[in-house]
Amino acid sequence: MLVQLTDAQLGKLFPAYLLLDKTFRLAGSGPSIRKLLPGLQIGHAFDDYFDVISNDVATVCDIQERPDHPIEIASKCGNLRLHGLVAQQPDGYFLALRHVATSQYLASQQLELTDFGYADPEIQAIMLIAVQRAMLEEAQDTALELAFERQRYSALLERTSRVSGYLAHDFNNLLSIISLNTERLARVPSADGKIANLTQIIGDTAARGSEISQSLMALSHQSSETLSALSIDDIITENSAFLKTVVGSKVGLSITLHSGSSKAVVSYNGLLNCVINLLINAREAMPDGGHISVATTVRDGLATKTDDGPESSPCNYIAIEIADTGSGMNEALLSRAFEPLFSSKPNGTGLGLASVREYAVEMGGDVWLESKPGEGTRVFLHFPIALDAMMCPDDPSFEDTSFDALQNERSILLVEDEPYALEALAEMLEMEGYFVTPCLSAAQALEALAKRSYRLLLSDIVMPQQDGAELASKACIAQPGIRVILMSGYVPETAALQPGWMFMRKPLASSELLGLIDKLM
Amino acid sequence: MYGMIHRGVRSMVQDKLGEDAWFALEQKVGIGPTELLTGMVYDDTLTIAIISEAAARLNLTIHECLFEFGRYWIEYASRGSLASAMDLTGHDLVSFISNLDRLHLSVGMAMPGSRLPNFNVVLSEPGFLKVEYHSQRTGLEDFVSGLFQGLIQRFGLIGEVAIADSTAGKVVFEIRYKDDHA
Repeated sequence: MLVQLTDAQLGKLFPAYLLLDKTFRLAGSGPSIRKLLPGLQIGHAFDDYFDVISNDVATVCDIQERPDHPIEIASKCGNLRLHGLVAQQPDGYFLALRHVATSQYLASQQLELTDFGYADPEIQAIMLIAVQRAMLEEAQDTALELAFERQRYSALLERTSRVSGYLAHDFNNLLSIISLNTERLARVPSADGKIANLTQIIGDTAARGSEISQSLMALSHQSSETLSALSIDDIITENSAFLKTVVGSKVGLSITLHSGSSKAVVSYNGLLNCVINLLINAREAMPDGGHISVATTVRDGLATKTDDGPESSPCNYIAIEIADTGSGMNEALLSRAFEPLFSSKPNGTGLGLASVREYAVEMGGDVWLESKPGEGTRVFLHFPIALDAMMCPDDPSFEDTSFDALQNERSILLVEDEPYALEALAEMLEMEGYFVTPCLSAAQALEALAKRSYRLLLSDIVMPQQDGAELASKACIAQPGIRVILMSGYVPETAALQPGWMFMRKPLASSELLGLIDKLM
Repeated sequence: MYGMIHRGVRSMVQDKLGEDAWFALEQKVGIGPTELLTGMVYDDTLTIAIISEAAARLNLTIHECLFEFGRYWIEYASRGSLASAMDLTGHDLVSFISNLDRLHLSVGMAMPGSRLPNFNVVLSEPGFLKVEYHSQRTGLEDFVSGLFQGLIQRFGLIGEVAIADSTAGKVVFEIRYKDDHA
């Protein structure tokens, strides 16, 4: 089949073609050649303008011998490089050439799409790569933007959380004042039923406000749990049925509790979460069933595994031991067991043991594992006993002879920067028979501490100049036997609570506070 | 349309009005970085909503804004990641417009599902071009006029673009230009 094409059509198909006569003189050229080599003249010898650089065709004369053969040529000026096929014609040769399509060559020769045939697959690929590179660059920019946006979002969340914390603090302080003073009002004998009714309404409304403050607390990632001296045996006993459900039907659970009435300063749910986490780990180490034993005892010595921490002085402590008959762990696994986000389980979050350790350390205790492959795992979870943690022998140098023994036993240093709350708390405590020294600031409290000894420091945390945690630290140094209860609607990160100190979240519930004080005094 | 277009609108608004104006626009339209993903296809209504909001902020009509964005797009693509593809498409106005379909062929391969237009140079005379534009989309004639205007500027020319004819699925543009340096 013979196809006839016009020069223009030929130029579109092969923009860099060359037409030679039988004596290898130029008889024609494509538009790209004419554009890039404007000095090229028809009738001149091919050799005047080009060199053949193909390995197969030594010189242009060899074309005659081997038509339809690949050829690559370079211009003597302009550094054009072309490759293609030679087709023999009745009156000469048609060199169906195209530019060597490398990005460097394209850039150096200022080539454009018109210099390539419309169906040239190489230039299509080069264009595609150029577009894809552009997309890739933009995708990288987008990834950075998304990362930045995430960072911005985290910062915003952190700011929101902090603002929520401050709002919760102020709101809880106000609620505390309302609640405490409503209770004062309720204690005033009155024959007027309307006053009792109004008191009830104010009290109930304050309680509803407390629910709102809980939401703010959740937003500020604050726990609202009270820290108090609790019997670990009681917590486990009260939840034993639930703990049996946690381990499942294939695993046996035995509970042996011997810490009796000894108490540790913990939060109820925090302690329970620790036990549940450890039981889940033990259960998952025994997919085919087995046995878990939970035991508590009271011991003395170091509550921590090593003696290099600040809380590592010998004391009485409650030891919880959870042992399973599972597959156990090798040394490598054991050394990483508490690493946050590390898990040996396919769907594990790696947060369980890490959170147990964080909690135990926060409470002044410790947790560690003992395990060998095939021999199961034993977890040791220790918490200092509350009275040990809270109370050292009273320092006789602080004995104030102007107070009798009873007064001394029931003395409370009360610190609260909200005057209305201070007044209400002082009145409530005095009505319960305590001897209260009210202070509006940490500075006032330190002055009072210098004058005499106290059985209990009951202090707000967030106060101007010096916070309650700082005051409590100084009080414990000045009077090592002093018990500490801190209270706040918000615990800032800067306030470092020491293990053994008790904590109550505002708004205060009078009965809970009095119960806590009663246990301590 | 593709997120690449949204990024172009963002760049235009940021260049002309500052970063805060774009943040305000994002708030108003309810978009964020996830609506600016280069290779993602978004509903045309979202693109139009973004351009409408940009028009309001630039104190332009939507038609004027589309024209301005078309002109801006050429400048944006020339200095951005598409620069090498743009360079390869053509070194003069006629070559560039003649090769637009070939550029779009590659764009279409890189971005599956794109609905790209066709451009056909039906008459080319010194200082004058008549171009047929075919697209499945309607209402983007002002954007195309802006693109041609941007190309006139890209090649250092002065000139103007006019719509000579518009029928279903086909718009004929007339481009008159001269070399500012000639």
